[in-house]
Amino acid sequence: MKKSSQLTVVSAVICALALLASGCGSGGSSTDTEGAEQSSGDQASKNAVVSVHGCEPANPLIPSSAAESCGGQVVDAINSKLIRFDDQGKAHNDLASEIKGNDDMSQYKVTLADGRKFSDGTPITAKSFTRAWSWSANVSNGQLNASFFSNIKGFDDLQKQGVPTDAQFSGLKVIDDKTFTVDLISPSSTFPIQVGYTSFAPLPESFYKNPKAYGENPVSSGPYKFESWQHNVMIKLRRNDGYDGEVKVRNGGIDYKVYTDLGSAYSDVQAGNLDVIDRIPTSAVKTFMTDSMVQSYNKPGSTLQMFTIPTTMEHFGQDQEGHLRRLAISMAIDRKMLIDKVLGGLGVQPTDFTAPTIPGYTKDLKGSDNLRYNAKKAKEYWAKADAISKWPADKSFQLLYSSDGGAKDFYDGMANSIKNTLGIKAEASPVPTFSEFRGNIKKRLYNNVAFRSSWSPDYPSPESYLMSNFASSAADGNGSNDGDYKNSKFDALLKQAAKAKDTDEANRLFQQAEEILLQDMPAVPLYYGNNIGASAKKVHGMRLGWDGYPIFPELSKDQ
Amino acid sequence: MGKYLLRRILQMIPVVLGTTLLIYALVFALPGDPVAAMFGDKPVNQAVAAQIRSEYNLDKPFIVQYVLFLKNALTLNFGNTFAGQPVISVIGRAFPVTIKLALMAFVFEGVFGVIFGIIGGLTKGKWSDNIILVLSLLLISVPTFVTGFILQYLFGVKWHLLPATAGANPGFIDLLMPAVVLGSVSMASIIRLTRTEITSNISEDYVRTARAKGMSNRSVIVRHVLRNSLIPVVTYLGADIGGLMGGAMITERIFNIQGVGNTLYQAILRGEGTLVVSIVTILVLIFVITSLLVDLLYAVLDPRIRYA
Repeated sequence: MKKSSQLTVVSAVICALALLASGCGSGGSSTDTEGAEQSSGDQASKNAVVSVHGCEPANPLIPSSAAESCGGQVVDAINSKLIRFDDQGKAHNDLASEIKGNDDMSQYKVTLADGRKFSDGTPITAKSFTRAWSWSANVSNGQLNASFFSNIKGFDDLQKQGVPTDAQFSGLKVIDDKTFTVDLISPSSTFPIQVGYTSFAPLPESFYKNPKAYGENPVSSGPYKFESWQHNVMIKLRRNDGYDGEVKVRNGGIDYKVYTDLGSAYSDVQAGNLDVIDRIPTSAVKTFMTDSMVQSYNKPGSTLQMFTIPTTMEHFGQDQEGHLRRLAISMAIDRKMLIDKVLGGLGVQPTDFTAPTIPGYTKDLKGSDNLRYNAKKAKEYWAKADAISKWPADKSFQLLYSSDGGAKDFYDGMANSIKNTLGIKAEASPVPTFSEFRGNIKKRLYNNVAFRSSWSPDYPSPESYLMSNFASSAADGNGSNDGDYKNSKFDALLKQAAKAKDTDEANRLFQQAEEILLQDMPAVPLYYGNNIGASAKKVHGMRLGWDGYPIFPELSKDQ
Repeated sequence: MGKYLLRRILQMIPVVLGTTLLIYALVFALPGDPVAAMFGDKPVNQAVAAQIRSEYNLDKPFIVQYVLFLKNALTLNFGNTFAGQPVISVIGRAFPVTIKLALMAFVFEGVFGVIFGIIGGLTKGKWSDNIILVLSLLLISVPTFVTGFILQYLFGVKWHLLPATAGANPGFIDLLMPAVVLGSVSMASIIRLTRTEITSNISEDYVRTARAKGMSNRSVIVRHVLRNSLIPVVTYLGADIGGLMGGAMITERIFNIQGVGNTLYQAILRGEGTLVVSIVTILVLIFVITSLLVDLLYAVLDPRIRYA
């Protein structure tokens, strides 16, 4: 999951000032970026290099090291994968010409497309994948994303202490230059989607001679090739003219300019010194839509904001009383009011446990009413639960969040909403830093309070949300199921979906599984966070994809 | 004098050892696990985490980690950051920028602070003194990020007179606005300090004596009043150098300057003990050396002070 704990201490204080200052700057109308995109072309130069807000990668530029977005978006832009996702999050073949599963989706045969090459001129073969995946999963190579390969047969052998760094997966077999097979530990119908994640990119033979040097100067298989990385200053990518795939590139390259602070990057977009920013600083969130100095972008995104109520919490267990209370709490939160008043409308009311940019998202699940504000029903459910076992009058419903993520206003408002609707004590309490907050969750120290959780998917499938957050296999510290929710019916549906013949069938099963969640409410969805960004006036085609990154190849700009 | 210098230099050793130990202990005591944080919200692969911990000696007890750090530091090997870059090259990138910025701010606050302070002190009670008084009080009371943000918006974004941010390899023009912002609060303090010293010294007996001897007004002011008035100012400026180097974090963030303050801040967030301690050690050295220089300067300004 790509969740950064954006630090907003300074910018939050500046916020009030920003409002004052922008009084002089605003007044223009917001610009529709999609309209601008269509009218591009004439003046926009095909070779213009577009500068984009970036940050210093915390890891080398190796696919399996990219665990955060600073390096992640660069690595993603230079590497083609077996498949690629379009702007709707839909999968298309890229380096693969076919990924074919057997009857129960436990073995896949991958056939590669013809003629694709790395930027160093060597061809992309079956071995480019099998060797890369083995290296990435191998514990001796210490790769942060090693767990992505945990469903491939032979993973456990690669996790033993002291395994040679060049040991290979027993579950990957090269048939010929263009074909290889993958044996999975448990069936997975979403495997052909998962391989679209950056970690599954192929690596050229030159990589293994010196992975460290490669991490500073990577070879490319995608629409962009790497040009230079001046640490803490800039990463330059240029259009890869040897690229033979289907993505059309409308610019000459991308410069990722490293910024110390989101606020200074936004100032540079206003001043015309930076072309694209893929997030908006807290100081400008309320003003960027009407800022006449920039083109604004604001569309529903893929991040689901929730709070988890652990199953260990008193009166909130997975029993009848607990279910009633969970539903009552969910219906006691006036999400629409909070989204409008606190978030300035930069969010969407939830109807399920995925997000609007994900294939498989729907508004029509049975029980989606449970995510709507309904004071009458909330009180009724709470009273029914009280009849089973009384909630002590002096007991407070506590909501924890980390105060460096800018969630304070929302959580205070939410506590108020619960307090006023149910007539119980409720309070939101901050934890100083994101890393302390996450650390305590991992240690299960918050077993009697509700706590903030959010999820950005690794691949555009409901599975990334459901499996990671709510499956029994991800509970007890084995995944991100931090509330240790366990429901065998839910698990069975996920298993069935894993064996499904096609994506549509799988998504139908995922939706059935979500209907269980809507009754059990292991975590309470609050809103889908919008993808927000801005671009300078002379830029065309600024759009943010399903993953919240700009769709780099579509950017162009007037010379 | 030589003996005095030697003693002061030897004193630095326990100071540096003490501070590094203290800082190392503080970073060690920070809540949160830096290796687990690398995985973000993804489940931590324990085998991989163990591999990374042993690579950075994080699996060893605190005191062993500290001794290993000291041992390597003596051979100028400060190890690697979590991103795999040598700490020494990170420092090598951050300090030149900050030194440039700090020197510009230092010159700005020193020159303008003393000049306006003298004008205020010599024209005590007149309109020029009052204007300087009001402006300096304003600068002292407004926090740096407010001045920074306003100047950036007006000069950088609205009027396009100066670069809104400094960015990569900043030159004089890029750093002009940040340096003014960074030096403004200290400048105001120096104005106040100089003005007060001058107004009190100007009515001293030795000034009256000098005038009685028929000395020109100019030499009375420059040779007697100013020289005596500058001692506290020099002390202040000396102490401020260290502050300008390490405390420029807010200015660096507003103007996108990849300097020491920001590097240190990021390192603390990531829990990178070696990087934090290495930077702080250098800052401590700068503090110690400037305070030594200040002490030596006293002797130049005041002939009564002698170091044996």
